[in-house]
Amino acid sequence: MNSNHTDDLAELHAEVAAVARELLADSAPRWATIARAGWPGLEVSAAFDGADAGFAEVAVILTEIGRAAASGPYPAVAALGVGALNHVVPTPDRDRLLRETAAGAVVPIVALAGEGMGEKRFRIENSPRGPLLRGAAEFVLDVPDAGRLLVPAVDPAGEVVLVDLDPRARGLLVTERPVLDATRSFGDIVAEDVSPESLWHFEDGYRCDAVGRLRDRAAVAVACDSLGLSRAMLDATVAHVAVREQFGRAIGSFQAVKHACADMLVQVTVAGKLVDAAVRAVTASGADASTSASMAKSYACATAVDIAGKAMQLHGGMGYTWESGIHVYLKRAALNRSLFGSPAQHRARLARRYSVQAPRRRGA
Amino acid sequence: MTGESRTLEDFRTEVRQWCRTNIPVDWRRAQTGVSDREFVEFQQSWFQRLRADGFAVPHWPKEYGGGMSSAEQVVLYQELAAHDAPRLVLAFVSIHHAAATLLAAGTDEQRRRHLPAILDGEIWCQGFSEPGAGSDLAALATTARRGPDGYVVNGQKLWASGAQYAEWCLLLARTDPDAPARQGISYFLLDMRSPGVEVRPIRQATGESHFCEIFLDDVVIATDRLVGRENTGWQVAQRTLGAERGMTMLELAERLGNGGFGRLVESCPLDDPVVLDRLAALEIELTGLRALCADFVAGAAPGPADASIVKLYYSELLQRMTDFGTEMAGLAAHTELRKPLSSGWESGAWMLDFLGSWEWTIPGGTSEIQRTIIGERGLGLPREPRGK
Repeated sequence: MNSNHTDDLAELHAEVAAVARELLADSAPRWATIARAGWPGLEVSAAFDGADAGFAEVAVILTEIGRAAASGPYPAVAALGVGALNHVVPTPDRDRLLRETAAGAVVPIVALAGEGMGEKRFRIENSPRGPLLRGAAEFVLDVPDAGRLLVPAVDPAGEVVLVDLDPRARGLLVTERPVLDATRSFGDIVAEDVSPESLWHFEDGYRCDAVGRLRDRAAVAVACDSLGLSRAMLDATVAHVAVREQFGRAIGSFQAVKHACADMLVQVTVAGKLVDAAVRAVTASGADASTSASMAKSYACATAVDIAGKAMQLHGGMGYTWESGIHVYLKRAALNRSLFGSPAQHRARLARRYSVQAPRRRGA
Repeated sequence: MTGESRTLEDFRTEVRQWCRTNIPVDWRRAQTGVSDREFVEFQQSWFQRLRADGFAVPHWPKEYGGGMSSAEQVVLYQELAAHDAPRLVLAFVSIHHAAATLLAAGTDEQRRRHLPAILDGEIWCQGFSEPGAGSDLAALATTARRGPDGYVVNGQKLWASGAQYAEWCLLLARTDPDAPARQGISYFLLDMRSPGVEVRPIRQATGESHFCEIFLDDVVIATDRLVGRENTGWQVAQRTLGAERGMTMLELAERLGNGGFGRLVESCPLDDPVVLDRLAALEIELTGLRALCADFVAGAAPGPADASIVKLYYSELLQRMTDFGTEMAGLAAHTELRKPLSSGWESGAWMLDFLGSWEWTIPGGTSEIQRTIIGERGLGLPREPRGK
């Protein structure tokens, strides 16, 4: 029965992926198109006009977005915006924003720095004028597109709360941060004594480590993206080497080329397993969610750079041209690798478990 | 949770309990430096202990003493690995290769004769490879000609694991020298006590002699020991080869990711960030391997290259891991320690294990052969031009 259920889900996911692939074939689908497809509301409950689906379904879309190297703020909205809104204690303001997000009417961007593993950069301080937000973050994904800004900040009691702001609020400065990867947009935020419009508390399960939980979602979302772009690069390379001839035969029949492609398939397959496990773990919010997220982020994003690089190599001189489009994937893969924690940072987080485990095992 | 999954958890509890009471205490030390006879006796008694509770051949059909669902088998092998149970190295060919072959292509008489005997401990080896025919099995040169008492076999087999202990052999020989390479081969059950059979163990890089050469000099095999029809041995052999992947790989991956990784962590200095980075990278890959194997055995219809992906990834990861263990252990890794028999790859002496890892990247199709299979069958890339 379990396996049937899994099969049904697999079929459903394949269908979602196929539809997404078709929609994304149009090189840069506009937000209105994405909103019409219902993607922003996938993980939103039906009570707020969402589709009542889960992070697993969002992950399918994120992977296809990576495959298409599509631009636009969907990954930031789905991984972080909806993730944050779903996990704060409901208020009428929150409900309204969630409903507008699901409808695609507003693009909520969470102010998380793209670099590193998650130090807290914003604080709320009490003043005679009321609570004031201060802080700064660099490389905030898709903040130039933000319709609302959601800032996780430490309040005077030491608790992380979510501050809802108009990106044009007084005291708030958002500047664009151009990057080599033309499919992505970033900005820097500086907040100097900004008065919060709304201030939401995270729900009980999330409260103790809200930023960490959001960062795990972000890490897994980027891992999905890298998995998708790896698959695209493998497919393109296989198609190319199967027909491109040198020395009188298809280059894909040469062992060196064939074996390079085989290694790409092995890496993509393993990355797929780790990403699946991370998506399940983050969905279930179990104790192992961070571990699975770090594994998927580290492996999928590191191998995506290898795979895109190998794709460029195996396409030969053509691969290095602007027209081939492979550079788009290589830039995105390399950017993904650094975004929301480098592989080395994620491995360092994993390794912190060893010193805790080892003495116990020795004693056992 | 469904009722079914609760039952599976009950089964896990049962297996755990079984492991605690049945796995011989301190068997590793007891099996280190023992004679061949003691090794065989230990293997036989461990096999019978598993058999008594239905754990020896869970993959066989129910009527022959198996009948476990694949979900239950996964649990069984996970728990055996987690509890560091001895491996059934000696029965490996009989319970997997021989049984799969007999079930798929044997006669009723052959099944009746051998399957119960295998359960009683009959040991088998496999005579496929030859000096000139490893992965290129179609090039095999051992001949079987029809004589008055059956087939008369002449030739030499190579890399036959455990042949020095075997009572029976799965043998491929050429019955029609004029037919195209794959069409002139037949499949036989060879009684190793037949006159003309000579076994010579080959000493390996690790110092052990697990593989053997088999010399066949006018060996007579009765016609009722032919499996399938004459000259259809190639097809029958595919059934044999298909039996060695899957659950076995899952068990090996569990052993590697479980106790194997734990042992590695214990032998590493945990205050060095470079070491920690490499450990974490290995743990990630091991986690990927375990998921790969679990999905492989759970999948109803594996892709044409999935078995090769699993084998390639397992064997090369094993190599990377034992290499790192050797580097970490320093000179101590090189002190001559003897491997506990009945174990898997892991002796605790990292250099011995690193050497042993080539037993995985070479046999059963080298890593190069696996990559070619993955490229051609998995990705549909054009074949390399082949000699005629």
